[in-house]
Amino acid sequence: MSVFVLGVATHPPSLQERRLRLEEMAYHTARAALDDAGVTRRQLDSVTLGSSDELDGRPISSMLMSAPAGGYETDEIKVTDSGATALCMAYARFLSGESQLGLVVSWCKSSKSDVEAVMRLRGDPFYTRPLGIGAAISDALFAQAVAAEFGIDEEEVARRVVGAYARAAGNPRGIRHAVPSLESVGRSPFEAMPLRSAQRAPLTDGAVAMVLASGRFVNSHPGCRPLARIAGVGWATDSYRLDAARLRSMTSARVAWREAMRQAGVESTAELDVVELESQSGFHEAAYVRAFGIENEDALSPSGGPFAQNPLFCTGLINAAEAVLQVAGRAGAVQRHRAQRAAAHSCHGYAQQGNVVMVFEGVGDSR
Amino acid sequence: MNETVAVLGTFQTEFRTHHLRHTFVEQAQIAAAGALHDAGMTPDDIGAIVFSLGPTTFMGVADADRWAIDYVFGAGKPMLRVHTGGATGGSAVQAAYNLVRAGLHRSVLIVGAERIAETPDAQKVLNLIFDVFYERDMPLATNTSAALWATRYLERYGNTQEDLARVVVRARRNALKNPHAHLKGIITVADVMASPMISHPLKLFDICPRSSGSAAMVVGNMDMARRFQPRPAFINGVASRTTTHWFGDRMTPSADSDFFDFDVVASAGRECYGRANISDPLSEIQVTELYDPYSITAALQLERLRFCSPGTALKLERDGYWNVEGGAVAVNPSGGTLCTNPIAVAGLVRAIDAANQVMGKAGAMQVSGVRNAISSSVGGIGQFYNCTIFGTEPVGD
Repeated sequence: MSVFVLGVATHPPSLQERRLRLEEMAYHTARAALDDAGVTRRQLDSVTLGSSDELDGRPISSMLMSAPAGGYETDEIKVTDSGATALCMAYARFLSGESQLGLVVSWCKSSKSDVEAVMRLRGDPFYTRPLGIGAAISDALFAQAVAAEFGIDEEEVARRVVGAYARAAGNPRGIRHAVPSLESVGRSPFEAMPLRSAQRAPLTDGAVAMVLASGRFVNSHPGCRPLARIAGVGWATDSYRLDAARLRSMTSARVAWREAMRQAGVESTAELDVVELESQSGFHEAAYVRAFGIENEDALSPSGGPFAQNPLFCTGLINAAEAVLQVAGRAGAVQRHRAQRAAAHSCHGYAQQGNVVMVFEGVGDSR
Repeated sequence: MNETVAVLGTFQTEFRTHHLRHTFVEQAQIAAAGALHDAGMTPDDIGAIVFSLGPTTFMGVADADRWAIDYVFGAGKPMLRVHTGGATGGSAVQAAYNLVRAGLHRSVLIVGAERIAETPDAQKVLNLIFDVFYERDMPLATNTSAALWATRYLERYGNTQEDLARVVVRARRNALKNPHAHLKGIITVADVMASPMISHPLKLFDICPRSSGSAAMVVGNMDMARRFQPRPAFINGVASRTTTHWFGDRMTPSADSDFFDFDVVASAGRECYGRANISDPLSEIQVTELYDPYSITAALQLERLRFCSPGTALKLERDGYWNVEGGAVAVNPSGGTLCTNPIAVAGLVRAIDAANQVMGKAGAMQVSGVRNAISSSVGGIGQFYNCTIFGTEPVGD
């Protein structure tokens, strides 16, 4: 059974979205995705949301958010791991035959949340929380572990950060941060050893929506032209512990990658034209490239990944949207020539506790 | 893929206000290990995990499912958390159902735990689920919202508070046979009427307790069922509906869905029955395990799920229609959510109690001759609804 992407939309990125409330951001993005797909909300039989109460700033945030995101008088479910996890959940709903046309929506208004506080509250109250471990410290522990594991040095990290910013500068859907110099990255202050502030992707506000359709729906609606086919998804979770063995093993990332590639029938990363990584820092990119065996750096995150926009909870699903646009030939200035197969990656939780990998294939004019 | 999905094992702890001897993650582990043991499985037999966890504000640990990863044997496995408020447990079952039915995993563990009483007043937290500009100051919370529902129902159909009280009397009586239930006992209509008024017309006994505990279920495909469970319950129908958050948009003459009529139930029920090949629920379903945190909630569902006509559920209650012994259908033999409400897993417990009836392992609660049972859960204020039908035989596509 094939599952297709019919439409995608991303909210215009912003460091601080002041004009719109969160539900208005979700509404405009969901609406834009439906328009992109050429379908209406009333045709939907499922909506899958990816959001975090803690980052949204209210318990059961989907009460307020589901209807603006398209979940009105339809089947709707919410997962709280990441936007990309919502895509995995939706994919299962299609494969099981329960849905024929659905919407996946995720959002994050990072500017309205104290992200570090939310991350610290993730700590168990007995051992982790008293240590004050938040996003910066856990990312730094990850950086420390993978640097030791793979021999990653600061020069490589700075090169990868500048490279990501440079690619992001061409992304019409990115925020277009100024591209820093190697020196300024290398001299920026430490946030937590060995992680420097300029090595991390800046947080932004954003939202993303994707319309999925079954083969049956596509065949019975000749006017709808799919952008891509979902060829495989994989996701996995690592131990809650932050010890070096867990951090440097990158087990969940490898498991997720392997499963997505198996489903997609990809035997070598050389078969991928594009790989959109969620690299929250230069250390992350260096580690993921090695863990996944990515040798073709030209395929690496043409969008700039989180350095283009980074609404934390849904950055991975934005990567998926970028991958879809690549295989549909609609990526604009960051389009890779004849991209036919693209992978998108997402990570979430303390020090990348969970990882998601999705593979998309172009469908051209054939169905 | 359209894999048949079967329940292979279930487990729930005793529920009470506090579980002082265990932490949240230990509670989750007890449930996970219990369900695996019940199915005769080991963690290696599990392909993926769905964590059932509603608002974390009650306990104060953000994304507490992450804390539980190692305890529920999740490290290295695909794991995700479902959260649809009070409907979470039912949504988690349906998410696991999708993962198996899709052919992505042969077996999935659904697990969760609740410690709602960690917060001194859940209603203050539940006030925060409402809109900050319009609703919080009223003050809306779940008790006050359900009271609006009850007021409208009683007035529209000429029922009394005593009619609601009979529901509580039956629930507490049923719960006497449920070793996991939080509240149980022989009480009278007069006892309910004499309990303190919380939000008119709902009194203390009309309202569920704040329960802590944990629960888990293992579902799998037919191959796993053949290996591990000689008498599985098959998940033959699932459906879910969401409507708008706003009360006002559910109360106008032109509203798509009327808040008081609980239209999402009718819509989900129709779809669920269609999938499970149920045409006459009253004669084909022997047990309901409906999510009923208030004495009014099950009556509305029984009507919208076509067990009786609108406005008749409480009248039929007087005649014993919903009794386990001698009733037309056994409504909540476990005592339901009125007796036990661990929000994070309340819907999962409903599903477990329904599946156990089909599997013939409901113990003292067992109803004889059960071929089909339906469970449900409700989230938001009647905003999220899902129902699941379990059967002794699989229904083909």
